[in-house]
Amino acid sequence: MSNDEFDYDRPTPIEAYENTRRWWWRLVWFLLIALLLIWFFSKEWVIAYDDEVEHFKYGSIGSEGNQGLPTPILQALPVIYKDELGDQGFAKFGLIQEEGHDLPIGFSKRIVGGIERAWLNCSVCHYGTYTLPGETTVHTLPGGASNDLDLFAFIEFFTRVGKDPGFNTNTVIAAINSDEVPGNLNFLERQLYRFAVMPLVKKEMLALSNQLEFVARQEPYGPGRVDTFNSYKVLQFGFPMGPHDISDVALNGSSDYPSIWMQRPRAGMNLHWDGNNASVTERNFSAALGAGVSPVTVDAESLFRIRDWIDTLEAPKFPGEINMALAETGAPLFETHCAACHGMGNADYDEQLAAYEVAMAAKETGEDHAAEALIKPTRYDYDTGKYPYLGQVVGLEEIGTDVGRWASYDQDFAAAQMGLYAGTPYRFRHFKKTDGYANHPLDGIWARSPYLHNGSVPTLRDLMNTAAERPKTWLRGARELDLVKVGYRSDARSGGTFTYDTNVLGNGNAGHEYGTSLSDAEKDAIVEYMKTL
Amino acid sequence: MLDDTGPTSPNSDHTHEDNADVIFNPLTFRSGLGELKNRIIRSNISGMFDDYNGHGGNARVNWETKFAKGGCGAIISSYTPVTVKGRILTRYAMIDDDDKIPFWEMVGKSVHHHGSKFIMQLSHSGRQQDLSGFENIHHKVLSSTNHKDYFHGILCKAATQDEIKDLVQLFANGARRAQQAGLDGVELHGANGYLITQFLSSGINDRTDRYGGDWEARAQFVLEIIRAIREKCGQEFHVQMKINAVDFNSWLYPWQKPGNTLDETVNICKLLMDGGKGFDAFHVSMGSTFPHPTNPPGDLPMQDVVRWYDVMLNQGVRAKMNYRIFSNWFGRWFFHRYWLWRRGPKVEGIGEDYSAVIKKAVQEVDKDIPVMVTGGWQHAHRIADAIRSGRCDAVTIARALIANNDLPQILQRQNAPDKGKECTHCNKCLLNDLENPLGCYEMSRYDGTTFEQKYEAMIKEVNSVYYPPTYPYHDVSEV
Repeated sequence: MSNDEFDYDRPTPIEAYENTRRWWWRLVWFLLIALLLIWFFSKEWVIAYDDEVEHFKYGSIGSEGNQGLPTPILQALPVIYKDELGDQGFAKFGLIQEEGHDLPIGFSKRIVGGIERAWLNCSVCHYGTYTLPGETTVHTLPGGASNDLDLFAFIEFFTRVGKDPGFNTNTVIAAINSDEVPGNLNFLERQLYRFAVMPLVKKEMLALSNQLEFVARQEPYGPGRVDTFNSYKVLQFGFPMGPHDISDVALNGSSDYPSIWMQRPRAGMNLHWDGNNASVTERNFSAALGAGVSPVTVDAESLFRIRDWIDTLEAPKFPGEINMALAETGAPLFETHCAACHGMGNADYDEQLAAYEVAMAAKETGEDHAAEALIKPTRYDYDTGKYPYLGQVVGLEEIGTDVGRWASYDQDFAAAQMGLYAGTPYRFRHFKKTDGYANHPLDGIWARSPYLHNGSVPTLRDLMNTAAERPKTWLRGARELDLVKVGYRSDARSGGTFTYDTNVLGNGNAGHEYGTSLSDAEKDAIVEYMKTL
Repeated sequence: MLDDTGPTSPNSDHTHEDNADVIFNPLTFRSGLGELKNRIIRSNISGMFDDYNGHGGNARVNWETKFAKGGCGAIISSYTPVTVKGRILTRYAMIDDDDKIPFWEMVGKSVHHHGSKFIMQLSHSGRQQDLSGFENIHHKVLSSTNHKDYFHGILCKAATQDEIKDLVQLFANGARRAQQAGLDGVELHGANGYLITQFLSSGINDRTDRYGGDWEARAQFVLEIIRAIREKCGQEFHVQMKINAVDFNSWLYPWQKPGNTLDETVNICKLLMDGGKGFDAFHVSMGSTFPHPTNPPGDLPMQDVVRWYDVMLNQGVRAKMNYRIFSNWFGRWFFHRYWLWRRGPKVEGIGEDYSAVIKKAVQEVDKDIPVMVTGGWQHAHRIADAIRSGRCDAVTIARALIANNDLPQILQRQNAPDKGKECTHCNKCLLNDLENPLGCYEMSRYDGTTFEQKYEAMIKEVNSVYYPPTYPYHDVSEV
């Protein structure tokens, strides 16, 4: 018998037991650590805001995990590209930087996969500003239109960064560790950035840049405008966007950012400029995709919180003087010429409010009260029974406004949208291709300039004129209001930054020539009335 | 309030002379053991003095003779394994083979020479094998159960019925060898968590065959042993049994089963009397592990635990955990407090109330079956009270005798050892035994004015077990 047949090192029963136990412990530790890591990397954390407006401005809706960048990288960009952005940083794109925040309004943060990332939320597009004549104070309009935001420049910047060899691990780390970005990367984090984070970010941003290459073929949107659906087609569905795949008309479907206040009364109306969806919730979930969420990363709870807030968010009141006598003259004219399609101010608001308060008090004390009296009255009358065309789509031939936005939303895309949020309760089922543009309520219309879906008419008073009489080229981007004609100033000294040329594709200012045959005095009266809405 | 500490008799109804009369009143057994000259018996206690392979050495003879010289009525041998597979510590003289008979004959003669009787304690560790030695590391020790010892995590396997038959014969052969060596009797170590306890205890025995179940079934193993011994050694040969009055098996982990109650023990003792053919005496102890807060009663010297427990690190699968507990300040503090709380306030005579019940029950059946009890005895008045009140017929003493080898002589003349010389129940002897010669390691008891002087004195006393040395070999008359 050879000696090799023995295991001279045979463990004793105690050693065998302890060896086995050691393996079990290793397994237990491995599983514990694995669970901890899984938990850590799968759980997401956000900063929550108690205040609804703060939540709207900085709260996360779930875009970070889809398109977001690690916060330090986002903060490093204005340092790396200082030559381009100057000291303004992201404010260069019309983003609003508030004190006490390290990113502008419209950026939220979320820890995803163990890394804090930041990206956009609703307020990036729905946060308006204005100044009053002779004043410098900037007034804000949460839920208004982001009149300052130059999304086109913003996208152009990111597509350039995505392809820029100068945007690399070394420059990013140097920028993050500079004094201009809060915090420093330690040795371990630097390795993480070098070998994991940056290669991934580079790859994703390059892919995004390639997808958005078509934007270079579009006419610049100018501040306060967005091409909603063409990017959507690419990012969600990968639609081909080459010169032979899409007409120039459909490629240039830019439109104004809409205000998003008082959404509850809008339920059932055809929403979006072309009225392609009558479900407020569906419209919200669709708009969230535009801010960068995906059906997987969307934070539905957060979106519902915003929905609840904008459901009853009051339209702002006109900040200047109103000639009430003139407005009263304008009211019946408005009723005659405008209200059937747009609704109008609620003439009985004061009485209804008084009755409502009485009923509420009665409810508190348990006295008898009419149930319908408990419905809070609104300053605007959204009654689609009274105003038969409110919320309805008017055909292109009839309305006659620019076709670009209508053309950018086509049947194929509507069909594709029906697959979005599949497997969730929010699956889309209402999107449709329409034959024109929808009539919307005009609550807070003074704060929604420029006018028409594409923002082609600077003021309400201009809109009362025929297309031929409306301004052909004018400046966008001014914050100061023209309180007489109602709308942002657009003259040479207004501070506007972008020359809006109505001859450019998608920028046409024709159509909607309602009331243009009225006298100037009547038009002035209607405009004065509209200040009250 | 009795003064327990002084050398003089306390203020009580009984003078010291009365007490000494009770203690030194001879005790007669029905068996061949005959008459003990007094009621103080050296309880089984051992040191690692012998040849590794279990052959006794000169130190063992010296050790046992110390107590014979000291005046004990009888000496119960140190834990004597009936097989190397049943040793608790290495270097304990064994009785596993006829080749050990001459040695034990020598021990017997030496003890007898000084007027004491010698009873050999037949033992098998079962799963309570603290230092298995190289002979045993590659197999699991036999027990009643497959469940490892919960204190140190010593692994074991449940003996098959064939193996039980062999175990019974090991004990019977041990008894035969003791008889052949001319010893006065044997004691089965059925207490303190060793193999027989592992069968007797409801907290440990989980067998479903005829050796497990109710108390009768659990006692079957011992019953077979006593019958096998009687078959080999006859009815005259003295056979006694050390048994736990109560197991307190859940002392360490409260989720362990509590083990045998006093009622069960009483029943078991009566069963083991086997209609007059069974045991000739009972030796009452407590606790289903060794050590146990109730046995040996006293303190637990945590510094010594940390110094000497390391030798057990590879003996059980829980030893490393224990050692980690013992060697950090909180674990040490906590374990110490826990130990003392589990013991309770009483040290001297800790088992006397249980022994009283057993004695009464046993002697109702047969008045000639004496019951002795162990547990911190050191004061004449306490021992005398226990005997006088019928709680026991004799006491057995181990650690107080390590402190004062001549304790019987002391108690004959005074109530207790001189101040500063009493056993402090520190149990340092218990822990030192794992790595050092058995002896009294309580430095405060030694003469000297400096640490070094006292330590020197301690070394001398502890090592006195090696005198006279093996060479030149002494003869009996010189001892």
